[in-house]
Amino acid sequence: MSTAGHRQPVSATAPGGSTMPRRRLRRLLPVLILPLLAIAAWQVAIWVAAPREWMLPSPAAVAEAGWDARERLWFHAQWTLLISVIALLITAAAGAALAYVIARSRMARLAIYPWVIVSQVIPLVALAPLLVLWLPSFAAILVLAVLMSIFPVIVAGVDGLGGTHRDLIRAARGLGASDGWAWRHVRVPAALPRLFTGLRMAAVFVVSGAVVGELVASDRGLGALTRLSAGQFETPLTFAAVVLLALIGLGLFGVVALAERLALPWTRRSTRPRSRS
Amino acid sequence: MPAKGVQVPHGTDIRIEGVRLALGDDPPVPVLGGVDLQVPAGTVTAIVGPSGCGKSTLLDVVAGLAAPDAGTITGAGSVALMPQRDALMPWLTLRANIALGAELAGASRDDAGRRAEEAIARLGLTGFADHYPHALSGGMRQRAALARTLLAARPAWLLDEPFGALDALTRTGMHDVLRDLMAEVRPTVLLVTHDIAEAVALADRVLVAGPRPMAIIADIDAGPGIDGAQAADAVMTALRTAGALA
Repeated sequence: MSTAGHRQPVSATAPGGSTMPRRRLRRLLPVLILPLLAIAAWQVAIWVAAPREWMLPSPAAVAEAGWDARERLWFHAQWTLLISVIALLITAAAGAALAYVIARSRMARLAIYPWVIVSQVIPLVALAPLLVLWLPSFAAILVLAVLMSIFPVIVAGVDGLGGTHRDLIRAARGLGASDGWAWRHVRVPAALPRLFTGLRMAAVFVVSGAVVGELVASDRGLGALTRLSAGQFETPLTFAAVVLLALIGLGLFGVVALAERLALPWTRRSTRPRSRS
Repeated sequence: MPAKGVQVPHGTDIRIEGVRLALGDDPPVPVLGGVDLQVPAGTVTAIVGPSGCGKSTLLDVVAGLAAPDAGTITGAGSVALMPQRDALMPWLTLRANIALGAELAGASRDDAGRRAEEAIARLGLTGFADHYPHALSGGMRQRAALARTLLAARPAWLLDEPFGALDALTRTGMHDVLRDLMAEVRPTVLLVTHDIAEAVALADRVLVAGPRPMAIIADIDAGPGIDGAQAADAVMTALRTAGALA
């Protein structure tokens, strides 16, 4: 008997059916392992040591405090999110522009780049009180967030622009492109993947910068809320604010990663042809 | 005949006389030690030599990407350089990569796109125009790089180890593609290669380069009517004499 006509029928769920959520779940589970373990260890510590709630609240108490204060949390989160997004946009534009100038001009590389590095040695937290003295609160927080997040963008951008494969530039110049054309049309697009790596790091640092600024210079924002709630021994609310901050950082990181995916389709490996070699 | 719309000017002589170049500052290292050669219009000349002898640097000088310390080059400015590997821009689709050659030659974007479509069909890349280079095989990428060079519409081509990264089978196929293209367009070609068989198979003449600082030490006829095996033997003998072959 021929077996040709007796192939196993393809599972009805295989092409994009119920296997997709299952596949997503399989991908999501490893991500959840660490936080679940941390929450379990936290809860065990509460059971064993039974600390006072203002010292270390239980996960359930944090969740409850977060839910009860959801409007207050949302009010402060909006402020932190607004500052973080504006600072990230400034960081992206200024970081990329500085990286271009530093990579393009030998004079700029000598005059600016060493000081960009030195600026990172100064503890930027220590600058916060000075910035508050000099600038209005919103501007001071913005400057601090930009200063804390711009370094990886500049370094990644300079490395990306300087690290373009020699043959790509030779190919363009060898077909008659000018040096300026090669910078704009070869070096800049070639540097984008590295620039986005810097931006993903900046997306996280910018939230830290905003929080430091709010801690020192504002009565709005989740940084301010952590200061106020910790001062009033509302520790569960402090924890809830910290969790929200982590989620904001994660969200901004995800938005940058999504922008990278949309802006750099050639870095995705899903367009491989099915035939021909 | 060439695909409709693909217009390439006829070949031009490339003449290189006494070209010297040292690279680096501390101290400068001589790379080209007085190179003299001539590639007559519409012919293919291959340069074979040991690794690092300065063959690619010579092509950079002819393409105007590096200025020689001494010597003269005639025909520079009318060349298109195809570097080692395919050097396609990873962020451009195959069509855009090929169109780049025409755009850099001054064609409008629409015209460049139209010429790219014709070259795609001519080089058997139909169906892959919207793919990014990483999704294509080495041979397809190399064909695209050739198409880009073709659309640059220069009368002379400088090919720097164009098939060095390909496997033997694909390389042989690419030799046929290049041979057909050269027969149609009749460009003046200066081909740099490590591969003696490739040089003999594609070129009318094979020049043997000595170790750094580079100079031409032998000029071997490999054109039609010349026995390929004998030409290859002559190349190997010259390389051995120069101490470039074990």
